[in-house]
Amino acid sequence: MDFDFSPEEQKFAEEVEQWLVDNHDPVVMDPTRENFTQLADTPERRAFMKKLAKKGWLGMSWPKEYGGQGIEGVYEFILNEALARHAAPQIGKGVGIIGKTLIRHGSEKLKKEFLPKILAAEVEFAVGYSEPQAGSDAANMQLKADKVDGGWNLNGQKMWTTSAHFADWYWVGARTDPDKAKHDGLSLFLIPMDHEGLEVQSLPTIGKDTTNQVFFKDVFVPDDYLVGTRGRGFQYIAEALDLERFTLFTLSPISERSRVLIDWVKTARRDDKPLREDPNVRRLIAHIATDTALARCLSTRFLCAAKAVNGKPPSVESSQYKLFTTTLSQRVCKDALDITGAAGQMREGQDDAPLAGRFEGAYRATMNETVGGGSSEIQKNIIARRHLGLPKNF
Amino acid sequence: MDIDFSEEQQMIVDMTRGMLNEHSSIDVVREMEDDPKGYPDALWKQMSELGLNGLLIPESYGGGGQTLLEAALVYEELGRALASTPHFVSCVIGAGLLLEAGSDAQREEWLGTIASGDAILTLAWLEPDRGYSQVGVAMQAKSDGDGVVLSGVKRHVHFASSADRMIVLARGDAGVDLYLVDPNSDGVKLTHQLSQGSDCQYRVDFNEVRVPSSARIGAAGSGWTSFDKIMHDGIILLAAQAIGGADRTLLETVAYAKERVQFDKPLGAFQALAHYMADASTAIEGGRVLVHEAAWNRAQGRSISRLAPMAKLFCCEAYRETTRACAQIWGGVAFTIEYDCQLFFRRAKQLQLSWWDTPYLEERVAADVLDG
Repeated sequence: MDFDFSPEEQKFAEEVEQWLVDNHDPVVMDPTRENFTQLADTPERRAFMKKLAKKGWLGMSWPKEYGGQGIEGVYEFILNEALARHAAPQIGKGVGIIGKTLIRHGSEKLKKEFLPKILAAEVEFAVGYSEPQAGSDAANMQLKADKVDGGWNLNGQKMWTTSAHFADWYWVGARTDPDKAKHDGLSLFLIPMDHEGLEVQSLPTIGKDTTNQVFFKDVFVPDDYLVGTRGRGFQYIAEALDLERFTLFTLSPISERSRVLIDWVKTARRDDKPLREDPNVRRLIAHIATDTALARCLSTRFLCAAKAVNGKPPSVESSQYKLFTTTLSQRVCKDALDITGAAGQMREGQDDAPLAGRFEGAYRATMNETVGGGSSEIQKNIIARRHLGLPKNF
Repeated sequence: MDIDFSEEQQMIVDMTRGMLNEHSSIDVVREMEDDPKGYPDALWKQMSELGLNGLLIPESYGGGGQTLLEAALVYEELGRALASTPHFVSCVIGAGLLLEAGSDAQREEWLGTIASGDAILTLAWLEPDRGYSQVGVAMQAKSDGDGVVLSGVKRHVHFASSADRMIVLARGDAGVDLYLVDPNSDGVKLTHQLSQGSDCQYRVDFNEVRVPSSARIGAAGSGWTSFDKIMHDGIILLAAQAIGGADRTLLETVAYAKERVQFDKPLGAFQALAHYMADASTAIEGGRVLVHEAAWNRAQGRSISRLAPMAKLFCCEAYRETTRACAQIWGGVAFTIEYDCQLFFRRAKQLQLSWWDTPYLEERVAADVLDG
């Protein structure tokens, strides 16, 4: 048993840390926005991603033949955690979901076309799984893909596609075989976002992000842009979601939130007394610190499981990690507002907002964490069935 | 980074589990409930023979010289079996205090016999209407010639009727001191008390009990520091014990939920119930890693002032919550004496209340995080 990183991993962590200090960019690394910079499409962010690409830090765990370094995923974990700690954009779904799925299942043509662009940070993706009638129940997608000469004709609607308003390509699930069982009738496609017949309508959310609904009207996709095997889409999605939980729900934003809150409590005063002397505040802080340590343990467990199975996504460990950390993330924000009291309601930019309104904003933004990427209830179903062997319950 | 057991560690787990299956079955556990002696001789003998009683004692004193990590693996199994033994008070706290602060003579006299199971030490610490912190130790050790005289009351003294010595926390001129006291001394009165977990504990009345100065462990006034340090080791093991109990409760409940049919479906097919079990398994799996991380850090010689209280705080709550949720799944039988669910439910809460309870642990964590 060994809870430390290896000397090589530790050296890499130090290298990343130093690089992030040397390449500090106040626009990209805005601490009040935390990891949500991922969703802000600014020239600074694109430039920053290119810098990461130049360092060779995108796709490190990819096999060498596809331009990766063939090293363990723990290096991507270390990088992602450091990026999140510095409130910088993370390596993202191009590397983690699309790239890895293409490497596993994509045709040579798709690999050749997309993998180099992903590694060079030259392409942005949107992921389209959810629909008005298919959120957590991804197998219930209804977007129609009818077989036509040389390709497919797509008609229908997607919901909750977060980066559709600036992405270059759409990674989208559609029903190719309506007569087959729900799970076996889906396929994945890659479609240029500016394709004729695609209409993106933005939906503002209570956080700072925009999400989108996307309408498909006779969108033609050539056969070449069907990913992998027809009818295997749901299996690819399930596999990629396991990866997404790891790459998108990093621990650092939560650890950082806990640290920022604790630092503030150490010096804040109320009614002429140090706030840290308030027994209720001490109790809340004790649980935030303890549960943050627990979240780290679940991430360690996930990381070790990912190492042990040679790249196969460890779904139970990732579900337990996601379930616990997203709930904790919301609770940290809620507790922070309770600790700041009435002033906590002031929004970012208001002079009187404690902690620059950071927790007020985060409180709203974290609402999607226990819903997106597979809701908490879906995670519990996965744990119940795959870990505890309980009978199917839906 | 690697959270797997080594081959040797896995052997310790397998050996302990096998031995406990044989010597600490649920029937044995039930026989020991409210028993004034409180532990089965056969189990204690087996633990000694397998080297578990000397696990943390250096080889030079006849022990196994293992680290807290190996002990944590053993404690998860003890918790899983609900094993009733004086191991914690004797082999962890007693031996730990002697190793930390005992004189050469005290170590020579006791460590070998603790390891062999021939001697049992216990701890006389808590007092009526007093808390877990240093100010809770109010019993006075009055100097008298070449010794001290102890008067007062201690509660929650485990296995006192079997103990060869009690380590008594008392307040001397320089602060809190630790004294080795024979329970058969003049002026000592033991009263068996029944607890929520039906374990073996005594109220001990001290009426002008004379002990020689040589019975003091460590320098005058250093007792609390030694005790506080060993308690940090101890609570990591109790956190492991909690995980063991929670894990067994969950596994037995999962098995039941697969078989028991209601409304034409197995109980486990109801999401409301499956989700209780998914939550419990998440807490147990995370808590187990937290225990191992704390124990590993201790074995590496690093500070555990934060991790140890976190481990007990989290794992005892996970144990309590697991047994509560599992009782919902068992339904009406959960609260009948015939079924085992109640055994775990009672012990979970008692463990949470004992050896630093939730408010005290919260304060320890808060102090480490906020005041450091």
